[in-house]
Amino acid sequence: MRHLELQARPWRERDADACIAWRPPTDSAAGWVSVSAWRQRIGAWQALLARHTDARGAWLLFDSDPLEFSAALVAIWERGEQAILPADDQPATLAALRDSGQPLGTLAGGLRAGADRDPAWSNRPLPAVAVTLYTSGSTGEPQRLDKRFAQLDAELATQRALWPYTEDLVIAQVSHQHIYGLLFLILRPLAEGVPFATRPCPYPETLHAWLAACAGARLQAALVSAPPALSRLPATLDWPTVRHAQGRIYSSGAPLSRAASDLAQALLGSPVHEVYGSSETGGIAWRVQQQGESWRTFPGLTIRSDAEQRLWLRSPHLADPQSWQRQADRIVLDPDGGFRLLGRADRIVKIGGKRLSLTAMDRALGELEGVRRAQTVTLNRRELRLGAIVELDPAHVPHDHASHRATVKRLRRDLARRFETPALPRYWRFVETWPTNAQGKLSATLRERLFADLDDRRAPRWLGERAVADGIEVTLEVPEHCRYVDGHFDAQPVVPGVTLVHWAMQLARRLFALEADFAGLERLRFPQPLLPGDRFRLTLSRGRVKARESLMITCESARGQHASGRLMLTESHDVA
Amino acid sequence: MTTTALEHELKEMIIETLELEDVTPADIDPDEPLFVEGLGLDSIDALELGLALQKRYGITLESDAESSRQHFANLRSLAALVEARRVS
Repeated sequence: MRHLELQARPWRERDADACIAWRPPTDSAAGWVSVSAWRQRIGAWQALLARHTDARGAWLLFDSDPLEFSAALVAIWERGEQAILPADDQPATLAALRDSGQPLGTLAGGLRAGADRDPAWSNRPLPAVAVTLYTSGSTGEPQRLDKRFAQLDAELATQRALWPYTEDLVIAQVSHQHIYGLLFLILRPLAEGVPFATRPCPYPETLHAWLAACAGARLQAALVSAPPALSRLPATLDWPTVRHAQGRIYSSGAPLSRAASDLAQALLGSPVHEVYGSSETGGIAWRVQQQGESWRTFPGLTIRSDAEQRLWLRSPHLADPQSWQRQADRIVLDPDGGFRLLGRADRIVKIGGKRLSLTAMDRALGELEGVRRAQTVTLNRRELRLGAIVELDPAHVPHDHASHRATVKRLRRDLARRFETPALPRYWRFVETWPTNAQGKLSATLRERLFADLDDRRAPRWLGERAVADGIEVTLEVPEHCRYVDGHFDAQPVVPGVTLVHWAMQLARRLFALEADFAGLERLRFPQPLLPGDRFRLTLSRGRVKARESLMITCESARGQHASGRLMLTESHDVA
Repeated sequence: MTTTALEHELKEMIIETLELEDVTPADIDPDEPLFVEGLGLDSIDALELGLALQKRYGITLESDAESSRQHFANLRSLAALVEARRVS
């Protein structure tokens, strides 16, 4: 198939009987969609736009159906008007863009095209800006990115030169509202004349069924994917019977782990081509991890790094192809001309492939009721997840499991107005006083201590400590899934007294640099047990009884006292 | 296995698999939505949960994304799915 630049309007040039799209077997009308049928949808959108046009000459386009989306986009281009693509359909994102243009498609208040119509081609020039992308509201103020046709065509040519679509169709597991999905699922197929699937394919079972249909029809499909989907392919599905239908696999949005890359290749039978880039820069580099960890710059681009290891880029995919632009990512150059990524220099992270500004999240959290101060941190769990350290007004501090859950629910619900669900903090640490080290900083050590119980099922949840008259008072919570918590399904689980003694000894070792060992209890009472989720204060003070060292402990929660008494210690020189 | 016991097992699987540190089985109302407004699970969790069901019960979900994810609406529908399709 002949490659046509977008500026050559391939939607007009293609043979009417050629296929523009493929309806997957899970659709009621499975099969091919012809260019002529698609042109009828362009005509339908043209009729709609003609009725609703206003002085702005700009349209806010969000449509989950790639066929309708592409028809609407072409209809806008044919009018010489501006297509604005919101990154998501969250109310806050749309509210920020409300005045920029008339909403179209499957977003709240969006206009939808009606019955099929013949398209009308005029000699109006294409708009100066092909698409305007906005970073989502989750990265602070939505940032506007204009892409001209020359930039998009340069990028399409780069990819076509490296990896021409030799497959029969293209399947995507990512959104075409973002630059990567837009290029690989909509614009490349349009320029290269390869059909795209008319529905997104987010789940592995769906992918398996579509590949099975392709295998049955002797078709091969390219896959436009991303780390969340590729790192969760179930080995239990019968991939060997469908994998000869799998063409090239692409992944972008975040680096894929080596293990996930290996697994995807083993199951799908094709190596994963990772693309590194951003909405601002377009594609920068690529790699196939089985050939090496380092990234190779796309042909036609030049990169360098500066004293701060920041990446500098000169690229035909940028608005100004001649100038050097400094990026937020840090890199290290390899002797072979490739580079490795070291992470970002700012507080932008990617969660579930979506960009998120931790600064914006901290600010949003800090504005919620009862919150005095907040800081989010990234935690490498099975996926990158957020933890939140939140200083609350005393009246809002939760004291037990139920109030902790209620507080988390309230804060997450409030944040959900602005952020997508995967971006919401999952691990919460509510403090009464902002935890700081001797230099007044919430240091990395303190941040680790706040979340240490996630990796140590025997540890209490640490929430701060302060000096009191005769010792040190530590604020703790009983983790709900603490290994020491007794009790089963039907019984109320409780924290055994011996666990409190153990925690007190561990804390004393750190706080008092104690070397002595536990030697016995003296007048230690446990008036009532602690329950999972209870917030409590454990006060420790050192003392001497005759010649022996001892540790006084008291433990209190909002429900009253849980322990008080004395732990006798061995003389430190007794310890061999 | 009674339904209640299966529901409890599924609650523990969800908590363990998705590392929900402050959620106990009692917090999961079998009729409350698991996603977004209820328990607050998200699209990554949905993939993770699908994987766990396949590993633990040998369940293969439908290829039709919409109908297969309807089973994930709440704990009761999830238990019904496991009951009907588990490979024992």
